[in-house]
Amino acid sequence: MSRNARRGWLVATATMMAICLFAIWQSLLLSLTDRLGPGPGFFSFWLSLLGMLFAGLLIFDVWRKPVVESDETLFPRGESAFRVLIIIGAVAGAALLMGWLGFELAMLVFIAGLTFALGERRWYAIGLFAIAGSFGVYYVFTRWLDVLLPPGPWAA
Amino acid sequence: MDSLGYLMSGLGAALSFNNLLFAFAGCVLGTLIGVLPGLGPAAGTAILIPLTFNLDATGAIIMLCAIYYGAMYGGTITSVLINVPGEAASVVTCIDGYQMAKQGRAGSALAIAAIGSFVGGIVATILLVAVAAPLASLALKFGPAEFFALMVAGLCLVVGLAGRNILAALLMTALGLLLSLIGMDPVRGAPRFTFGIEELYDGIGFVPVVMGLFGVGELLLAAEARQSHLIQADLKKWYPSRDEWRRSSGAIGRGTVIGFVLGLIPGVGAIVPTFMAYVLEKRISKNPERFGKGAIEGVASAETANNAYANGSMVPLLALGVPSSPTIAVLMGAFIVNGLTPGPFLFQEKPELVWTVIASFFVGNVLLLILNLPLVGLWARLLKIPFAYLCTGVLIFCIIGAYGLKQSLFDVWVMLGFGVLGYVLRKLDFPIAPAILALILGPMMEKSLRTTLEISGGSFAIFLDRPLALALLAVPLIVLAAIALRPRAFANLRQTDIE
Amino acid sequence: MIRRRTLIAAAGATALAAPAFAQNFPRKAVQMIVAFPAGGNTDIGARILASIAEKDLGQPITVVNKGGAGGQIGFTEGARARPDGYTVTFINLPSVSTIVLDPERKAAFKMDSFVPVVNQVLDPGVVWVKADSPYKTFGDLLDAAKKAPGKISACTTGILSDDHLAILMVDDAAKVDFRIVHFEGSAQQLTGVMGGHVDCAFDNVGGIVKRVKSGELRALVVTDDQRSKFLPDVPTTKELGFPSVISSSTRGIAVPKGTPADAIKVLETAFLKAINDPEHIRKMDEQGLALRPMVGAEYAKYYADSHAAATKYTEWALKQR
Repeated sequence: MSRNARRGWLVATATMMAICLFAIWQSLLLSLTDRLGPGPGFFSFWLSLLGMLFAGLLIFDVWRKPVVESDETLFPRGESAFRVLIIIGAVAGAALLMGWLGFELAMLVFIAGLTFALGERRWYAIGLFAIAGSFGVYYVFTRWLDVLLPPGPWAA
Repeated sequence: MDSLGYLMSGLGAALSFNNLLFAFAGCVLGTLIGVLPGLGPAAGTAILIPLTFNLDATGAIIMLCAIYYGAMYGGTITSVLINVPGEAASVVTCIDGYQMAKQGRAGSALAIAAIGSFVGGIVATILLVAVAAPLASLALKFGPAEFFALMVAGLCLVVGLAGRNILAALLMTALGLLLSLIGMDPVRGAPRFTFGIEELYDGIGFVPVVMGLFGVGELLLAAEARQSHLIQADLKKWYPSRDEWRRSSGAIGRGTVIGFVLGLIPGVGAIVPTFMAYVLEKRISKNPERFGKGAIEGVASAETANNAYANGSMVPLLALGVPSSPTIAVLMGAFIVNGLTPGPFLFQEKPELVWTVIASFFVGNVLLLILNLPLVGLWARLLKIPFAYLCTGVLIFCIIGAYGLKQSLFDVWVMLGFGVLGYVLRKLDFPIAPAILALILGPMMEKSLRTTLEISGGSFAIFLDRPLALALLAVPLIVLAAIALRPRAFANLRQTDIE
Repeated sequence: MIRRRTLIAAAGATALAAPAFAQNFPRKAVQMIVAFPAGGNTDIGARILASIAEKDLGQPITVVNKGGAGGQIGFTEGARARPDGYTVTFINLPSVSTIVLDPERKAAFKMDSFVPVVNQVLDPGVVWVKADSPYKTFGDLLDAAKKAPGKISACTTGILSDDHLAILMVDDAAKVDFRIVHFEGSAQQLTGVMGGHVDCAFDNVGGIVKRVKSGELRALVVTDDQRSKFLPDVPTTKELGFPSVISSSTRGIAVPKGTPADAIKVLETAFLKAINDPEHIRKMDEQGLALRPMVGAEYAKYYADSHAAATKYTEWALKQR
């Protein structure tokens, strides 16, 4: 496997191992046994132990694999990375804004921002889509479908 | 009048203009509910119950049932088109269905799903007519001990999902199981691993996790590849090719059986039969490596099992008055409000009503087919929208979906988090499906074990007294033995090929 | 019936006595938080009430399901809502109490976070067995339990549910020891008992009336001090010599602490009227849910008494963990 992929696998597996370790600790804080048998911490304890075993074996296995030299990078750079990050950022931003400003405003910003970032340049198209997707969708869902979406600050 | 006589007269009633209209309306609404985010089938059905107050009892029930299995189909559409399961049970369809869509074969996938669902539904309803009462009482013998054994056997399916890297699959399974333990524990009924976050008290929320792992993760991958459209391949014909038909027919048959049989057991949930049918299909296939890359049998088996389960789970409902899932519980509530009390005496008390409803299951399945097949081409064309719009649209969809279930912004964050996680795992080629299966089965396993021990007073000997449970528990042992003894499989384990 | 009408008239007169506020409230939709999933017993009762009460309230009542954690999520939301009268919570007793009393639940509310307004349903507990069970009376069941301590199994609809507490009450009063099995919801109890896996079930009247009538199940006793009008042939625990075993699931409307008294009055009037509406009575009868309207001081006292009773048995249950 390529050097970067190998590094990726090692990091990922090591992280999973760390999670299992954490779970072992947390399980020990709960009791492992109960008057009827397994207690609340029982399964998580043994599962995390198993998880660590698998992770360990996996790390060992990946480690001794022959490394194929290649330029192939695991994670993107440049514009690709930008696109990935902008989506993540946009959704995070939308979630934050929704809490403060309500669905409609948050979506308005989200849609306009993301469509622009992903390449659309026609302002009228962005505008139309943003309004339909925020206020329009809000109306349809809350009025017709009875699905509650976070209201804006003007709704008390 | 014997059953067949009742059925015939019921069919006549079901085909009356009014009832036909209700069935149709139900199918449309159901499909919409399945497609739209934020409306799980349970909530969607519950919202529509007041609508039915003004209808006569028969019409109301026909419509509500149509909504139920319509929603099952609607969930398929989004699974295939955008890799977002419309409702939890459609998650298995994503695996191959979306890959088919990426190859331009969305039409085939949706068509085969419609047809498979139809066959599964009709056969399940026929079996319902034939054997409802005796099968239902047999299913009662399935207690917590057997349930636990079934879940353990189900977990062994993981091996079938492993793909090339069994170690990674096992690791993901363990992590999935750990994740599933978050929430109220069945021992004390107190929160566990929630770190004070109230929204986690009920567990981590299957839908946001899956929406993130599958839907958002996929979008991130497509964004990285700088695709101008989500699907690059040309759209092929919307109906399956002869080859695809041939391969799917066996899958449909097997899926029907698995779906129906598991539908008889209350509480199993739709995801277990869909996974089982899928894994079985993969196991007996001559080219298992095609699965996960757009094998039509994968879609056919999963969808058939799904619908066979939906119709099959009517058996415990009608025969025993026991709802198999929260959605069916809503349906049952609607039945009761409309004067129909499901239970063993239902068939004696109100035979005409019951048989009309059952007849409408047939009608409904036909209507669904008629409704959805022509639209398949239309749905497939949606994928040609430019990426900027499709991506944003899907994200709006996912945000509403994650939020709408419990009006919780926390779930939106969960979805985003798992979206990033799904992206990373996909880049590394870690198998995700085992973790999903583990996430479903984990809580059911632990709870049923706990209940079993409560019943036996702490003694594990209860398993020795119950042959069915023992038989089911033997399955994982057999599977493990098979892996250990087959040299090819063992070599696979040692030399995990991760390339 | 006549007494109820007088109550309504009195309530109506009181409402008229505060005209200025009544005209200003409510001016927009009122939200009703139901802490249990859509379609369940609690939810159906809430929705029926909401659909009838909104006529008198003059504004729509939107039912919001915030199920999860045995009601904790919904109750927390309701307790934290702005106390302006526009958010009411459909509370369940003793669920609210047991959540507050369990330290591991880390409840974000206390009993006084809520002001109880109107009670709708009082669904008494009932012990049932399957139709062909060897136990024909409650006495039979208790005898079996005495002869085999810890062996006769009884199931509940959830840990720390009113059913759970009821079993402990019986254990205490009759000096028996039931083997307690916890299911999640009545549906699982059905399969558990009908399948012969558990000996008896502790549930509530509402869910099983129809099945008792059809002969599927046999109700042994109702844990109340008066017979249920839906199960008139079933004796009560009081009659059978266990007057301390009183257990029920009670549901009503509450508002967050600090809600202005005028708003409470308006809500009280509207909901009370809806509860006494013949349409409402009919629908609830169909569900087998017994109405026990309570307002003001009577409800407040019940709220406190219920908590006191729950405390003793909840602590006992917690010790058994």
